[in-house]
Amino acid sequence: MKIVVSFKVVPDDQDIQIAGDGSLDYSKAHQVVSSYDLNAIEAAAQLAASNDASLVGMSVGKAAIDDSKLKKNVLARGVDELFMTADDACADMDAYSTASALASLLTKIDSYDLIICGDGSADNYAQQVDVQLAAKLDLPVVSSVTRLSVENGVLKAERTLEDVVEVVRVALPAVVSVTPDAALPRIPGMKDIVSAGKKPSDVSAAVAAYTSGIEVLDCRAPKQAERRGEIIDLSEDGAVARFAAAIKAAQ
Amino acid sequence: MKALVIIKGREAAAKLCSAARKNADEVVLVVIGDTPLPGAVADKTLHIALPTGSVYDDAADTIKAIYDAETPDFVYLEATRSLKVITGKLAAHANTSAIVDVLELADDVASNRYFGGIGQRSLKATGAKIYTISVSDLPDGAASGTDLVEEASWVAPEKPLELVETRPIEKSGTDLFKAETVISVGRGFAEEAQLELAYALRDKLGAGLGCTRPLTEGVDWLPRDIYIGVTGLQLAPTTYIAIGISGQMQHMVGCNRATTLLAINKDKNAPIFKQCDVGLIGDIKEVLPALIEAL
Repeated sequence: MKIVVSFKVVPDDQDIQIAGDGSLDYSKAHQVVSSYDLNAIEAAAQLAASNDASLVGMSVGKAAIDDSKLKKNVLARGVDELFMTADDACADMDAYSTASALASLLTKIDSYDLIICGDGSADNYAQQVDVQLAAKLDLPVVSSVTRLSVENGVLKAERTLEDVVEVVRVALPAVVSVTPDAALPRIPGMKDIVSAGKKPSDVSAAVAAYTSGIEVLDCRAPKQAERRGEIIDLSEDGAVARFAAAIKAAQ
Repeated sequence: MKALVIIKGREAAAKLCSAARKNADEVVLVVIGDTPLPGAVADKTLHIALPTGSVYDDAADTIKAIYDAETPDFVYLEATRSLKVITGKLAAHANTSAIVDVLELADDVASNRYFGGIGQRSLKATGAKIYTISVSDLPDGAASGTDLVEEASWVAPEKPLELVETRPIEKSGTDLFKAETVISVGRGFAEEAQLELAYALRDKLGAGLGCTRPLTEGVDWLPRDIYIGVTGLQLAPTTYIAIGISGQMQHMVGCNRATTLLAINKDKNAPIFKQCDVGLIGDIKEVLPALIEAL
C-alpha cells in the first residue's frame, strides 16, 4: 500500500507582524509546514506504519519552498520520499489551481491508495483543496476525519462534524482530510533528522501556468477597537472592588 | 439576479436567504435531508431527500444538477463541515474556487480572514460566484418568500460514502457564541487545579468559559471546542475577561470584537494591557478569590 500526504508551506504565523499601514509583514517569518498539516503527516505516518505501507510527501508552492531544512523536517517524520513543485508560478494559488498542480505532481507517483490532507491551511483555512483534489482525480473524499483505519482495501473513518460523529466506509483509492485531533505531531530526534538527509526528494518546476479564480484586492490587519486602557495594580487601594465594578458595568 | 442558497441548519435559512435577497430578486433555497423546512424565506424551496445510509456530502451531485438547471448568478452555502465538501465539489464543477467564510460582501467584493484573522482580505471571484458564510457572522434578517416546495430528484454519486454509524456529540457546556459574558483562561494558570478558581468565577458571573490554544492542545486540560483564537472560536461577546493570557495576536483575533475587554495578568508588561478596557495587574491566586468575593 502507498499513502501520499499533502502539505502546504506557509510563513510561520507566530512571526507575522503588522506594518504601520496595516499590511502584513512576513519578513521575520520563516517558511514552515502549515501547522495542521503536521498533524496530517503524523496521522499518515502512523497509518503507514500500522499497514506496512510506504509514505510519500507532496507539496506545491513558490520556488522558496525548496528549502533543505524544511524538506528534512518533513522526511524526519516518517515520510519515505518527497515530491515537490517549487515554482513562483505556484505562489498563492486558489484551491482549484492547487488541486490541478497537485494532480500533475501525482502523475510522478506511479500508484497510490490513499491521499491524506490536513484540516485547513494556516493562511486561507478554506478546507477546499482536499475536495477539489478528489474532484480532479474523480475519487471519493472524506473530510474532518479524527480516526482512520484500512482493512482489505476499504477505508473506515470517523468524522467529527459540528454536532455528530459519523463513521463511514469507502473503497480505496480515496482522499481524506484529518483534523488536528487525528494525531499529535512527533518531535523528530537527531537520528530521524540525520537519516532524513539521505531520503530521496524530487523537486521540479511547474508544468503549467495557473490562473486563480479569486482576485485578491487587498490584505491588511482588521481595524482594532479603541480601548480605554485603564490599568489597576493589585497593590492599589480598592483595586479588586474597582475591577469588580468595571465587570458589572460592562455586563 | 438569482441566488441559490444551500443550508444545513434551520437557523441559517432565514439569515442566508435574507442576505441573498439584498442582492437578488429571485432566491432559491436548497434544504437537504430531515432539516425542518423553514416557512416562506425564499421564492422556491428545493428539498433533497437523503437516502438511508447516505451522508450529507453525497447530495453534491444532486446540487450540481440543480446548479446547472437554475443557473444562479451567485451561490451562498452555510459554512458547515459537510456543506464545505459540497462547496468544493460545486466549485470544481464550475471550474473555480469558492470564497469561504465571508464576513462582508458588497458589490461582489467579499472579505474573509487571512491567517486566522491576523489579516483580512478583500476578494473578488473572477468566475462563478460561490461563497460560504457562517451563521455566527450574519445578523438576524427578515426573509421573505413563498411556501412553494419542490422535491429534487436524487442524483446518485458514482462513489458514495457508506454511512455506518452516527453518534451525537456531547457539547462541553455553554454555547460560547451565545454567552454575553465570556471568561477565558491562558498559560497564567500554572497547574490544572487552579482552574477551579476560573470555574468559580464563571459560575458567579453566569459566564461561558473559553481558553487559549496551549491549554487544550499543549496540556489538554480543557476541550478543544472552547479554544478561542486563530483556527478556534472567534467571538464578539458583550464582556470578555482574559485571565492569565498574555495577549498574543493569535489569541486576540478570537476576542477583539468584544464590546468590553477586561484582563487580569501578573506581568505588567503583558501585551494584553495595551489592548484592554480595564486591566488588573496581579497574581490569579490572589486576584480571583478576592474578585469572586467582591462580585
